[in-house]
Amino acid sequence: MTNVVATNQTILVVGGGISGMTAALEAAECGKDVILIEKNPSLGGRVAQLYKYFPKMCFPTCGMEINLRRIKSNRRLRILTLTEVTSVTGDTGNYSVTLKLSPRYVNENCTACGACANAVTAEFDNEYNYGLNKRKSAYLPFAMAYPQRYVIDSRIIGTEEASKAKAACPVNAIDLDMQVQELKITVGAIIWATGWKPYDANKIQPYGYDRIPNVITSVEFERMADPLGPTGGKLLRPSDQKEAKNIAFIQCAGSRDRNYLKHCSRMCCTATLKQTTYIREKYGDEGKANIYYIDIRAIDRFEDLYQKVKQDPTVTFIKSKVASITQDKSTGNPILNGVNTEGYQRYSTPYDLVVLAVGMEPSVDFTQLPINITLNESGFIEFDPKNGGQFAAGCASDALDVNRAVQHATASSLRAIQVINKVAGAEA
Amino acid sequence: MADKKFAAYLCKGCGLGERLNINQLAAVATKEGKIPLIKQHDLLCSSEGVALIQGDIDSEQITHLMIAACSKRAKTEAFNFENVAMSRANLREGVIWVRPDTEAAKENTQEMAEDYIRMSCAELKYMNIPAPSQEQGRIPHILVVGGGITGMTSALEAAKAGYHVTLVEKTAALGGMAAQLHRRVAYQSPFKDPQPTGIADLAKQVQSHQKIKVHLNSTVADTSGAPGRFAITIAHESGGTSTENVGAIIQASGFKPYDAQKLTEFSFGKSPDIIDQLGLEALARQANGGPIKRPSDGKEVQKVTFIQCAGQRSQTEGHLPYCSGHCCLTSVKQAMYFKDANPEVDTLILYTDLRMPGFGGENFYRSGQDKGILFTKGQASSVLPNGGDLTVKFKDLILNEEVEDTADLVVLATGMLPNSGIDIEAIPLKVEEKKAGDSASEEPVAASPPETLVPVESVLNLSYRQGKDMPQLIHGFTDSHFICFPYETRRTGIYAAGPVRRPMDISQAMEDATGATMKAIQALENAALGRAAHPRSGDLSFPRFRKEGCTQCKRCTVECPFGAINEDEKTYPVFNEGRCRRCGTCMGACPVRVISFENYSIDTVGQAIKAVNVPDESSEKPRILLLACENDTYPALDMVGMNRIEYSAYVRIIPVRCLGSVNTIWITDALNSGYDGVILMGCQKGDNYQCHFVKGSELAHIRTSKIDDTLKQLNLERERVQTYEIAITDLARIPQIINEMETTIQRIGLSPFKF
Amino acid sequence: MSQAVEKYRNTFLREVEANVEEGQWVKMCMQCGVCSGSCPLGPHWEHPPQEIFMMIRANKREEVLTSSSMWFCTSCYNCIARCPRELPITHIMHGLAHYAQRQGLAPKELPTAKFAKRFWDNLLKKGRVNELQLGLQLYFMNGLAEGIKTSLKMQKVGLGMLKTKRMDPMEALGGHGCKDIKGLKAALNKAKQIEETKAAKALERLQSKS
Repeated sequence: MTNVVATNQTILVVGGGISGMTAALEAAECGKDVILIEKNPSLGGRVAQLYKYFPKMCFPTCGMEINLRRIKSNRRLRILTLTEVTSVTGDTGNYSVTLKLSPRYVNENCTACGACANAVTAEFDNEYNYGLNKRKSAYLPFAMAYPQRYVIDSRIIGTEEASKAKAACPVNAIDLDMQVQELKITVGAIIWATGWKPYDANKIQPYGYDRIPNVITSVEFERMADPLGPTGGKLLRPSDQKEAKNIAFIQCAGSRDRNYLKHCSRMCCTATLKQTTYIREKYGDEGKANIYYIDIRAIDRFEDLYQKVKQDPTVTFIKSKVASITQDKSTGNPILNGVNTEGYQRYSTPYDLVVLAVGMEPSVDFTQLPINITLNESGFIEFDPKNGGQFAAGCASDALDVNRAVQHATASSLRAIQVINKVAGAEA
Repeated sequence: MADKKFAAYLCKGCGLGERLNINQLAAVATKEGKIPLIKQHDLLCSSEGVALIQGDIDSEQITHLMIAACSKRAKTEAFNFENVAMSRANLREGVIWVRPDTEAAKENTQEMAEDYIRMSCAELKYMNIPAPSQEQGRIPHILVVGGGITGMTSALEAAKAGYHVTLVEKTAALGGMAAQLHRRVAYQSPFKDPQPTGIADLAKQVQSHQKIKVHLNSTVADTSGAPGRFAITIAHESGGTSTENVGAIIQASGFKPYDAQKLTEFSFGKSPDIIDQLGLEALARQANGGPIKRPSDGKEVQKVTFIQCAGQRSQTEGHLPYCSGHCCLTSVKQAMYFKDANPEVDTLILYTDLRMPGFGGENFYRSGQDKGILFTKGQASSVLPNGGDLTVKFKDLILNEEVEDTADLVVLATGMLPNSGIDIEAIPLKVEEKKAGDSASEEPVAASPPETLVPVESVLNLSYRQGKDMPQLIHGFTDSHFICFPYETRRTGIYAAGPVRRPMDISQAMEDATGATMKAIQALENAALGRAAHPRSGDLSFPRFRKEGCTQCKRCTVECPFGAINEDEKTYPVFNEGRCRRCGTCMGACPVRVISFENYSIDTVGQAIKAVNVPDESSEKPRILLLACENDTYPALDMVGMNRIEYSAYVRIIPVRCLGSVNTIWITDALNSGYDGVILMGCQKGDNYQCHFVKGSELAHIRTSKIDDTLKQLNLERERVQTYEIAITDLARIPQIINEMETTIQRIGLSPFKF
Repeated sequence: MSQAVEKYRNTFLREVEANVEEGQWVKMCMQCGVCSGSCPLGPHWEHPPQEIFMMIRANKREEVLTSSSMWFCTSCYNCIARCPRELPITHIMHGLAHYAQRQGLAPKELPTAKFAKRFWDNLLKKGRVNELQLGLQLYFMNGLAEGIKTSLKMQKVGLGMLKTKRMDPMEALGGHGCKDIKGLKAALNKAKQIEETKAAKALERLQSKS
């Protein structure tokens, strides 16, 4: 049984993405006791699925490594994966939280040797790659996964597969009898770093994501561009696995739209600018990127990236919200239909591949949880004194880019510390 | 230090027992490593294995232990022992996982493992257990420079957490730029209307808070010391000075508005009815909810045109290349001033990209439209006074036509310039860039910043060897270079917040102030414990310096990326441990090798290099030394292992804190002791550097480029030493590079220095 | 002051808001162009909806009201379904067309206008549309020869409809009416009155401003 010591001077951080890791670390490195919970088997969240960060084009795993090292060397920080909050009661400085711990079926003995994965044959959609490929039923979610321990997919429990995995483990790390566990803890403050999820592109009917294979989402494109991703870094069309060279990006796919997400998701413009550089990286002058946009919101110094991309002759900008996508059956090419609003030019243009720059929505629907917290119309957590000792960090509060999410998480960490210091009666 | 007690633990799990001759490894540790206590275990990271080690630590008073198992990045929770020095021989990711499991490969694989045992033993022998520096104390007191909305927010947030604050403000009043505003942009749901700035209330709270001391009409005349012991001299306009000791500093020195006089095409200065956004705030304050009147003749404004991105987002000389982030929101807010007072007033906003992001931004845009503000995508080319009116020429990009329109008032949305203080790198950097040469060709930037960007007054007046202010990032902002770590600065314990860090609006500035306060509190708490700040947070080691050997060459004081080292009057280095990030760049820089850390020194690495068994020429087995940055290259190497990608069995890898810590003596020692090739792998350098210690990788590249002379003296081929920029994702490239070195050596022959 | 410099005033926008059905939505357009791209008749118009909205905001009264563009709308509702700002574009287009007609600015010889006129007149007679009469009128709208030609072309369809009792030839003679034609006419008159008062007021307001 997992046991956790927590008091009303403990900070609970919910969500182990970059915002949660940051909020937890900043507080722990300030000498506070922190429990960080994550519903997935590993930390990292959405940034772990990015190939590069804009505007520097550096690799998210690089910062992740530093954060993991901070985590490993901090004794004040306790991490629970596969854990979710089911209820919160109480008030500022004294919350009672119920946690649900799902079984990993793999204990601390695991050395990540991979013998279990070699032993099993069943495969499932790989959620790390947004289902673009399969993974084994005994798996390490990704190369940098922390904790560095394998997971047994709960769908094989009770089957021959599970027994095979168990038998293959040389260090007796597989425990198929693990059960869901409930844990009640007391904490002084809660940081909700529950992050975002990509908007469901199936809902954007005119864009045919559900029926045109060569229409994909920006998060899928990101995985594709990653040399460690499902296609080995090749930009392949799902329909025929041919390399896509002439690629269209549709901005505000779901964002700034009362039919879908009313808010602007902020990061998609700059993310697309970044993704055009992937095309250049692969093909040089041979590739083509075409961006359909309403406004290019490359705010503050991200403007530099916009200027740089604008100078690239292989990148075209079209001020237009695409009306619909159809498919050329013979080639599998998606055809974009619409109007360039700058001077009214109609177009009906085929591309090898179309990338929908999907918006961000809160990954947790707090209205469905027994948690008292102020939300805005889009479901993000508002800053509100009524929230007491509960604070949002990162994309739980708004659509943010990584830099702003971390900045926000750092601020949230202080807000939680203020609560804890008050509880402790700490006079500096 | 006197009583070092050594023990070594060899793991047989994860296939190590099957693939390697563990008894032989144990023999190497005993005979060559001279380790008295050696134990083998089937699975060292299991609870029994850990208990075995902990038991020995407790009963045998083991102080130094060597663990021969997996990578030092793996199983850290298990191998987490207090108050001991530990070295780890990486036999799993570093040996068996990168070598084929064949009979033919066996000999070389075993040799590889034996060398790692030798290296770990040698390293351990020279390691000491670091004790925290006592140099800093706990001063729960923060200095905030700047009394604008950012500074005031920082002060209040710090006070709320229980810390004392001294706030220094140059002018006679708190409030800064925000005090000049009539209203601020909506900052909470429903994000519809301009809101009171709340500045007066905020100022009152700051003034009356018992933990906050405010100095108006004052500047920071001198800052010395380090986190946990900063000594601040505050100069008062009245003539006096006062001093204050603080634990950490927040620089909230704000921004200056762009000088719109430069925008001759918009006739700024030619008519009082052509104003910038701050000018409009003044008019709105005058009107105070009533109709806004134009300055020239007091006529009520019937038509106002806002020109976005005036002198911004432009490569034209004298313009700002960046976007100031807030101006779209601000213009919509200002158009609302007119609409809320009188809906009949015509308000036109000419934009190229309307940047009102997030939930609030889009709502505010919609509210502006709802109030009847006209928007069009348009590029303004000129504003000319025309009798009493103004003529605005622009191209309407939607209707695709040139337009000549009139207005009573034109508002130019000009940008913000950071008050970053002195650009301490401005001159020397340019010289260096020319020397480095290569980066110049890639960047065709017309980059020379407009002169207005160079302020002459220092903000912090640091009495630091490397200059009076914090180093700046792009466009003169004192920002962090790191996406994941937005508060990183190159002056430990000093954090920039608000528009000095990055262009931003009030809401963001307040958020930013809170985050910077968090970092300041953290810095002072860690300094008190002698712990390093990010990215080696928690590290207790710090540079130890042997003054007797020092030649006062100043390399360490010049090269320290964090300005941690001062010079005394005889130009001996003076280390400031609180400022030090423990990267070891000083250790790498020192030509006489008098700088080291307790647990990471010229010897821990140097002896490990020398411990390797270099076979004689006849065996035809080359040896390659790879010094790998532990932040990016070493994790990548681990992943190479996890993916079972094979590489040459002749390489011996040593992780280093940063490539900047690599002292060239290690390379010469390696070559002298018969290594055939040396590879250095560090992070990307240059403008988009990914080095977590900013300059480390770049310095290493410069240093190794000078190794040619040494190679010449030794009569060795220059191909034998190679330096690479490696990213954490370079799993495919790293083995290639290693294997290429093996091929190169085959081509040029083994080193003649095998004894 | 010349007309040219009166651009980008709210004058015409206000007129539209006052007189055109759902006109108050025009200001909410953010010029994304999805309506223009979604319109099946798009390639045939001079100014697509999003451009019309921009023209209204640019104060181009004459150009908008004399334009044939809004007369092309077939009420397919694609634009409304896709508009990210939920503008009732179809309604605005019809509203604009109607307003232009009232102002006597609508272009002559618009087939859709002709159709609308016939449809309306037909409807007013008996309170319901007599499809057979309307159809015949349309066939013979451009002269006898063309009418006969069209009729012959449609012969098969007509016979088919007769067979399946989808068409009653007796309707051509007079046809049946709705239950309360008097009440309907009264209601329509009232509506007309309301519109006229509204328009007069808006005109007054506009004139007082300039």
